[in-house]
Amino acid sequence: MPWSTSSTPGSIPGCVGLPEGAAAPSSERLLEVDDLRVTFQTRAGAVRAVDGLSLTVGPREVLGIVGESGSGKSVAMYSVLGLVRDPNAVVEGRVRFQGRELLGIGDRALRAVRGRQIAMIFQDPMTALTPVYTVGWHIAEQIRAHERISRRAARGRAIELLGEVGIPDPQRRVDSYPHEFSGGMRQRAVIAMALSCSPVLLIADEPTTALDVTTQAQILDLMRNLLHTHGSSIVLITHNMGVISEIADRVVVMYAGRAVEEGRKEAVIRAPQHPYTWGLLGAVPRLGSKRRRLATIPGSPISPLNVPPGCAFAPRCRERFARCSERPELRGAGGHRDACWLPPEDRERRRLLALERALAADRAGGQA
Amino acid sequence: MPYQEVLLSAREVAKDFPLRGGLGGRRGMIHAVRGVSLEVRRGETLGIVGESGCGKSTLGRCLVRLMDLTSGSVHFDGVDITRLSRRQLRPYRARMQLIFQDPYASLNPRRRVGGIVAEPILIQGTASGAAIRRRVRELFEVVGLDSSYVDRYPHEFSGGQRQRIGIARALALNPELIVADEPVSALDVSIQAQVLNLMADLQERFGLTYVFIAHDLGVVQHVSDRVGVMYLGDLVELAGAASLYQAPLHPYTEALLSVVPEVDDDPTATPRQRIVLRGDVPNPMDMPTGCAFHPRCPVAQDRCREERPLLAEASPGRLVACHFPQNLAAARALGADRGGVPPAPAPPA
Repeated sequence: MPWSTSSTPGSIPGCVGLPEGAAAPSSERLLEVDDLRVTFQTRAGAVRAVDGLSLTVGPREVLGIVGESGSGKSVAMYSVLGLVRDPNAVVEGRVRFQGRELLGIGDRALRAVRGRQIAMIFQDPMTALTPVYTVGWHIAEQIRAHERISRRAARGRAIELLGEVGIPDPQRRVDSYPHEFSGGMRQRAVIAMALSCSPVLLIADEPTTALDVTTQAQILDLMRNLLHTHGSSIVLITHNMGVISEIADRVVVMYAGRAVEEGRKEAVIRAPQHPYTWGLLGAVPRLGSKRRRLATIPGSPISPLNVPPGCAFAPRCRERFARCSERPELRGAGGHRDACWLPPEDRERRRLLALERALAADRAGGQA
Repeated sequence: MPYQEVLLSAREVAKDFPLRGGLGGRRGMIHAVRGVSLEVRRGETLGIVGESGCGKSTLGRCLVRLMDLTSGSVHFDGVDITRLSRRQLRPYRARMQLIFQDPYASLNPRRRVGGIVAEPILIQGTASGAAIRRRVRELFEVVGLDSSYVDRYPHEFSGGQRQRIGIARALALNPELIVADEPVSALDVSIQAQVLNLMADLQERFGLTYVFIAHDLGVVQHVSDRVGVMYLGDLVELAGAASLYQAPLHPYTEALLSVVPEVDDDPTATPRQRIVLRGDVPNPMDMPTGCAFHPRCPVAQDRCREERPLLAEASPGRLVACHFPQNLAAARALGADRGGVPPAPAPPA
């Protein structure tokens, strides 16, 4: 695929497959988010939606970001792409993509990255497509925004892409309107749009939450295949640990705008360290389980308006003790880190105990 | 499971929706439910699972006669409620209630939540004044909400709390049967677990019978005693939840089970063979011939394209509508399943 030169000549290294000698460590890290903070000024006071989030995404890696509604997982990724447009929002920290800072580079420069090198898939495919234009128009428009290419060629590429994401009869469906597609097909069309410029990084915000389980499996399969053929990396935002388990390589668990646990998927799922992760895992119904009750996390997600000064999860945590009034930082070895004051050697025993106790306490009706 | 009294029985329930073309002319019929027979036993949870558009919500609404049937009948506690007038139906309405999917759309945003919960009691006229207010506060506590919240408006609550309000409303008249239509699919997984536990508690406490409708087989299998699987308006399999999981007979059930996203926390477990179905559910306007599932079926044969399979017993107590049921040996090895007893249940042996 031909790459046109960047809109701001000289200063922008940004093409795929051209490792920039200057930013040496970036070959290991496609995306580096460091101490990201997003604050919204509201009438009720300052809301810190993302509070010191750091994460990295490597080449050909699927990073899963998991957390409940309001944990800041979407806002964090939106701000990476400069999509937080609220005039009352302040985004601070560093976001380096292929070794180059993205925060504050200005719209023009950002547009060369967004959509082309980093693409986004949204949760609701109906709102991501304009009802008055055909599906093919959406894809061709995105291609033409980034490349000098004729309408006819763009349309040809749109047909190719629709075929690639598994839309039957793409020659004909390219002229369909979004309402003529089923939910799964719309999400495929949105994925085709996202892939149109062969991005190196795909950010997918709950891409399967609005879909049936069977369609979800199709879409996850599709994303897995694209990963292989295009060699892209994916950041997958979800609230479902089951989806994480299916597709992610690494996981970041977020609560109240902070990362509370991160590590390889196998490590986080098989030996979860943070009590919040225990809760998220316990909440997924298991097929074939004889147990009739699920271990729940008591209460609801915290309002970002009044995050306690110490550990944000403490008010809902059954393991809370004196030290939790102090804010824990991410600590740990071997890439598996967590922000919790519990003694690491005692976690597994406590987790099993907590599971039993959660079930018992819950039965007594102690819910908020 | 001991023999249980049948609370609700549906016989050949069918529901068509006319599809209007331009200028009011009729263009055709959508056969949303195509002759479903099933029984719901007192105290059990019957799960109904299927993809969008399979007719599971329409069936749920027909079961409590929130919709009139095109043909077939529904008996509640021995009485045919299919042709009762509104007035005659009213005492039965109190005994069967619904919980809806969308906790945002199912609560009137301009009414206080206490009033929303009190409405069924007002309509039935079983209590008044202070007694209603007492009952509403009691209901709030039953579903785990602070009873001081009764004067608030729906927008002041989170999704999970709203679903609790919907449950309180459904409980207001002490119903025997609750049809829950996707009660947790709009909620976060963690909140979903709370609501599922609450529903289990309430069932135990009040002896409720549930029809639990959802598209997520993981959730349905978890909460149900028996599970019915629907595809394009037909019931294609009916079995006890455990045997359905251990030995699914219909290829569609097998595929549904294989794609439930699961937490793989056991390194010793053998990885599942995932069966990803191709394509979408066909347009119900343009029904495939023979078995409706054959265009997507991994084991379809010529017979499936020609002959529509009927729901029949494939192994003792297991009902399936398929010419070539899967896992038959495994199902037989499991022994007789009390879950999917055919419509005329035998008395206990």
